[in-house]
Amino acid sequence: MTNKTTTLSKNQKLILTLLQEAQQKTGFISEEAMVGIAESLGISRSDVYGVATFYSFLSVQPQGRNVIRICKSLPCHLKNGQEIIESLEKQLGVKPGETTPDGKFSFTLTNCIGECDQAPAMLINDDVHGNLTPDKIARILKTYK
Amino acid sequence: MADITVTMNGKQVGGPAGITILELAKQNGIDIPTLCYLEGLPPTGSCRVCVVEVEGSRTLVASCHTPISAGMIIQTHSPKVLEARRVIVELLLASHCGTCYMCEKANICELREVAVDLDVGVPRFPIRRRFYPIEDESPYITRDLSKCILCRKCIRACNEVAKKHVYAMGYRGFDSKVVVDFDEVLNKEVCRDCGICIPYCPTGALSNPQKSRKDKKGPPLVIKG
Amino acid sequence: MPEKRIVLKNCGVIDPRRIDTYLQQDGFKAWQKASAMTPEQVIAEVKASNLRGRGGAGFPCGLKWEGARNAPGAEKFVICNADEGEVGTFKDRYILQNDPFSLIEGLAIASHAVGARQAYIYLRGEYRFLLSQLRGAIRQAKEKGFLPHVDIEVREGSGAYICGEEMALMESIEGKRGEIRYKPPFPTTQGLWQMPTVINNVETLMNVAPIILNGAAWFNQIGTERSKGTKVLSVSGDVAKPGVYEIVLGTTLKELIVDLAGAKNIKLVQIGGATGRIVSASMLDTPLAFETMLSAGAITVFDETRDVIDIVHRTMEFLAEESCGKCSPCREGCGIIVNILERFIKGTATPKDITTLEQLSSAMMLTSLCGLGQAAPNSVVDSLKYFRSAYEERMKKVEVVAR
Ligand SMILES: Cc1cc2nc3c(=O)[nH]c(=O)nc-3n(C[C@H](O)[C@H](O)[C@H](O)COP(=O)(O)O)c2cc1C
Ligand code: FES
Ligand code: FES
Repeated sequence: MTNKTTTLSKNQKLILTLLQEAQQKTGFISEEAMVGIAESLGISRSDVYGVATFYSFLSVQPQGRNVIRICKSLPCHLKNGQEIIESLEKQLGVKPGETTPDGKFSFTLTNCIGECDQAPAMLINDDVHGNLTPDKIARILKTYK
Repeated sequence: MADITVTMNGKQVGGPAGITILELAKQNGIDIPTLCYLEGLPPTGSCRVCVVEVEGSRTLVASCHTPISAGMIIQTHSPKVLEARRVIVELLLASHCGTCYMCEKANICELREVAVDLDVGVPRFPIRRRFYPIEDESPYITRDLSKCILCRKCIRACNEVAKKHVYAMGYRGFDSKVVVDFDEVLNKEVCRDCGICIPYCPTGALSNPQKSRKDKKGPPLVIKG
Repeated sequence: MPEKRIVLKNCGVIDPRRIDTYLQQDGFKAWQKASAMTPEQVIAEVKASNLRGRGGAGFPCGLKWEGARNAPGAEKFVICNADEGEVGTFKDRYILQNDPFSLIEGLAIASHAVGARQAYIYLRGEYRFLLSQLRGAIRQAKEKGFLPHVDIEVREGSGAYICGEEMALMESIEGKRGEIRYKPPFPTTQGLWQMPTVINNVETLMNVAPIILNGAAWFNQIGTERSKGTKVLSVSGDVAKPGVYEIVLGTTLKELIVDLAGAKNIKLVQIGGATGRIVSASMLDTPLAFETMLSAGAITVFDETRDVIDIVHRTMEFLAEESCGKCSPCREGCGIIVNILERFIKGTATPKDITTLEQLSSAMMLTSLCGLGQAAPNSVVDSLKYFRSAYEERMKKVEVVAR
């Protein structure tokens, strides 16, 4: 392997980092952002899109201001996970994969988030909320704008 | 130049260090089926049809990317190997579009050829097809991704041979798909000409709109069923 | 006494945001000792300790370090795998939350031993809330002069279980899709950017400082013949006290989940998460060690009210969603298993479906490109072994029709 290809590929390590930054900044990765990344790194649009669509925390569709990811994996499921998911669905009035009409919350199901000792658990943006009950969810949702 | 000796199907054979099991088999006239291997380009190891049995290994190993090492005892066509290959081909057929009788490339289809060689019939598995609309906007390439087996040959041909970087892998898992730009239809804007990728495609996913019905080489291959 | 604190000894004792509280607990003493030793001496000590990787495969840590140290390469890298994506594991999170300094000390020693000037911690996206504390801990260690030889950078994942697999993880650090690369070549010779790379789990690295400080002979006194030291396990599911437990290797499953965690009416236990094994209640006396059935640190307990097929179905759904999609047996096979299991749930399955499950499982285990596909059918195979009647009861009642 020549030095030239090493520096080139080291440059490409920025794809994921830049996509993560775009996601953090605007809540999703717009086409303009992807075009910008492709041009600045000298790689194809397809390659940028390929990375963006591989990771489930990156989104190429606009998202609500806050993203709720509620865990559906087995340990949470054993602790009434299904009921909690249904309760969240009712409180938000949207189905998994959808965004509330006011644009406040996007809501998705996710796999184990590593909080199974506090099952059932969810992430809102980067915050962890465990030992969920329908009442607790109602209180938590109020704290997000 | 034979500096590594291995046992292949009971016979002692030798080859230079660094070559793969597949290359050694070829040199010795042993035919191992492949679907994603491309001579001269780096392997991806994605189709797994080329697996062989190597004594001492917990799993089968893919011959297209495993280098030979001294003393290896290799079986390229043991019952275990053949059964594993059959399962893989059936898995690919279970998500393949299933309209071979209408397919442009039916008679040169590598998937069909491998299936026939392995005596594979109708898949034993539940059918789960991927449905995509046929992309026929480009005057150079017709793309029907419901026939795609995700071998990535077109991506490598476009990147390494044509040096155009039109294709990339998108999405994940079962939803994986060869994407163009932001998952757009292949048209004149994104892919200007060449069509270099078409002969690389082992199935009818990529075909030449102009050469309609001229790809036929011989009598149709029949899949038992 | 099955519980013993080596890895978790500082958890709850120190303030994870203040390095001085760590220094009061002999923090970085091991680093000082190691930095006075040659890299070869450090590797020899770790090899002699028989420390095995805690990330799943149980590979001898010292051998891995030696491999990367001796491999030719212009640069070398050490990576800490903090991707912890396996269903039911949270021990690495607990460690990062409570004692980031021991991990940094372990990384500093590993980098010295391997000759790496750049180290990475790959933190899963789900643990982003730990990012600033972790970066703060690295900054403090640097300010105190404990990292003269290496830069530690934290890289974030973005929600992909497969990025816990070492090859996919390196692809992800390189900025690409987290897809599997075939082996060989192994990371120790051609890893990150084709350079020799050591990749270790969080918990593996947590063991390094105590080993250097107390010596390999001390470590060898703990554990079983082939599994030395302790293991940190995440216990969840139908237990009174879910949580993180550190036990001496060789402790039985029963001591852990019944005596410590308070499980009752156990039907089955899933050990190692979605890619792990399922054992029935009759096997609770099995010792937990690498030579028996230990892999990743997840222990999920299911009581008698739970349905085996539902458990396996959900496990397979997880794997189908998280398969990277590169190789055909895993990409196509996981989903097909889900579909077949659905037939049992709906009651439309036939005896042929059991045969198909077995044939498919066997082929996936033999041909998949990486550990995910190879281990994906574990729950199917084990449940068919121990709970076959659950499948048979759910089959379609066959009517004999005269032809
Ligand atoms: C599908 C899959 C997922 C994995 N996930 C993790 C993980 O989350 N954390 C981890 O440390 N190792 C994980 N591993 C194991 C790693 O590939 C690798 O063996 C490990 O990080 C090596 O570290 P160790 O030697 O310290 O155990 C995973 C392996 C597979 C096949
Ligand atoms: S299963 Fe829900 S956090 Fe682990
Ligand atoms: S030809 Fe070897 S994996 Fe496809």
